[in-house]
Amino acid sequence: MLLDLNDYRNDMKRCARCSICKWPPLAQMKSWRFSQNCPAISRFNFHAYSGGGRMALGLALAEGKLDEADEELSNIVYRCTACGACDSSCKYNSELEVLWPIYATRARLVGAGCFREEHGPIIESLRREDNPLMKSKSERGRWAEGLDVKDLSKGGQAEVIYHAGCLYSFDPELSKVARETVTLLRSAGVEVGIRGAQESCCGSMAFQLGFQGEFIKFAESNIDDWNALGARKVVTSCACGFGIMKAVYPLLGKKMKFEVVHISQYLDELIREGKLQLSKKIPLRVTYHDPCNLGRKSEEYVPWKGTEKKVLGQLIVREPEKTVHRGWEGVYDPPRDVIRAVPGINFVEMERIREYAWCCGAGGGVKTTMDDFALWTAGERIAEAQSVGAEAIVTACSWCERNLRDAAAAQGKKMQVLDIVELVKQAR
Amino acid sequence: MQVIVCLKQILDPEMPSGSFHLDPNRKRAVPPPGTPPVLSPFDENALEAALRLKDGQGAKVIAVSLGDKLARAVVKKPLSAGADELVLLEDPEWEDLDHFASARVLAAAIRKIGEFDLILTGRQAADWDAGLVGSALAEELGLGCVTLARKIEVVKDKVRVERVAPDGYEVVEALRPCVVTVDSELGELRQITMPGIFAAKKKPIQEWKPADLKLASPAPARCELVDLYLPKRETVCEIIGGESPEEAALKLADKLLEKCPA
Repeated sequence: MLLDLNDYRNDMKRCARCSICKWPPLAQMKSWRFSQNCPAISRFNFHAYSGGGRMALGLALAEGKLDEADEELSNIVYRCTACGACDSSCKYNSELEVLWPIYATRARLVGAGCFREEHGPIIESLRREDNPLMKSKSERGRWAEGLDVKDLSKGGQAEVIYHAGCLYSFDPELSKVARETVTLLRSAGVEVGIRGAQESCCGSMAFQLGFQGEFIKFAESNIDDWNALGARKVVTSCACGFGIMKAVYPLLGKKMKFEVVHISQYLDELIREGKLQLSKKIPLRVTYHDPCNLGRKSEEYVPWKGTEKKVLGQLIVREPEKTVHRGWEGVYDPPRDVIRAVPGINFVEMERIREYAWCCGAGGGVKTTMDDFALWTAGERIAEAQSVGAEAIVTACSWCERNLRDAAAAQGKKMQVLDIVELVKQAR
Repeated sequence: MQVIVCLKQILDPEMPSGSFHLDPNRKRAVPPPGTPPVLSPFDENALEAALRLKDGQGAKVIAVSLGDKLARAVVKKPLSAGADELVLLEDPEWEDLDHFASARVLAAAIRKIGEFDLILTGRQAADWDAGLVGSALAEELGLGCVTLARKIEVVKDKVRVERVAPDGYEVVEALRPCVVTVDSELGELRQITMPGIFAAKKKPIQEWKPADLKLASPAPARCELVDLYLPKRETVCEIIGGESPEEAALKLADKLLEKCPA
């Protein structure tokens, strides 16, 4: 069992309601306009929607003080992209878990059957079609038709396996990125294989919505398949997949005989080794949007079990020492280095970056079931990119790209949204 | 035509093995967090049968669920799939009823609904797999019952059912109204869509208690759960050695004879 709300009772009790979870640390703030970090509290402006508010709800649930079946409770719990910004801000000077109690609250509600009806078809689609998008699994490998790449669903093994992810596989606009990724890797001399129609979801959506049982099935099946295929390296473009494989898969206790690598890390490595050379000038002023699952949420999570002692009347000392996930170890530099390697590019940072980046708005099932909230959140990010004069936002996550593109189109904003692979392809 | 479908909320039979534990005092399986209850898959087959009749011949479909603490997101699924009404029989008194008591409550609810041409259930609930409620319901209502349907058609005053048999299927006709239990061969429930979910929010839901059905007290249980446990499997491994393979073989033979004397 991964998510038990009772494991976080002490963290939830110790939340001092200081509201630091609502803002990036003071030293990181650059302007009032972009000084918030949590899309839910910024949009709905009521404490329950913040990290601290969610801790209070979780504690009340764990102590049996709240009716699990209340629909308004479900609205609050799921109007959150589970981006983890609250967690990183809180841990700037504390050791409390904030994000995992949010996950555990959802798992608690789901276990009681109090999930949102709109999540039913997503989970049903995962069970039937191995993807959360209600697409037929037989169409999964179509993005690779005509490509010179080893399809492992037809037999064979490969040391490097490319996992495209659900959205890159099925979204007609984004599947171009998956094709370009394979072409780039092949041109760099990487013998890459794909799982074609047998590739399945990483389970991230199920995990984030609280459907832990469903998540475990996907995670275990993926680990078994990659081990059996002889993989030494699993490369993915899907930041959600990367985050869950790095942070949560190891908790299942199965031996992972492979390394999980995000495409931005692999491109960076190939460029450094001179296997990919970028020669075309791209005179564009771009900024980079940190996907939450590639950044602060990709640190391997080590659950803490032990004893807590109060010393000097107020300080909590833990034995054994707790591994604190502050978001510092996320993948931040490789994508930036790739962008800087593009000739002629003018790279400029936004105000909220790295572990304190503003979420794109698509995570935690929000894009699928509350698109208005997702688009508003993305609109805020586009405004931030515009404020630094960027002509394009480069990112490295299919869900971020989909949502930022949709928001730019819906709000009539002139802003290109590029996958890092597209940028590299253009510079070749 | 009015079709009533009975659907049971159960623990997810596809939850990862080993993830649940047993509560020995209450004699029940306790799922881990993050594993929601589901509708019994065979009952979903029954709902699909009803919706196909609705699509083909026109019918009003009423879904009925019985139990306690029914999860709304689970039991409202029939409305999202296309059923027209939902009747929830929900009361602490109706938690963990045995098969015959369940049939009695369902029969009372169906009598209260009044008008019906066909009652559908799954061939069995995927928790206890007893397969009794459909037949017991027919008995309570004094109706004919056809089990294990893989296809259902309504032809004038009759229901024609293709019934699963070990070596194929047989065609059975019954006068309506009657009860039909549905097999998985009929097909999975159709995919729920977001428009379906939003349409369902406007559909009527009735919640009935024992007093609404004029049921004075729960029927005495005819089945008693004596014990619920996970079978223990113990494996003991002993390495039998020897100076040579022959010596090891002799020792093994002696050991086997000792354990299983001729």
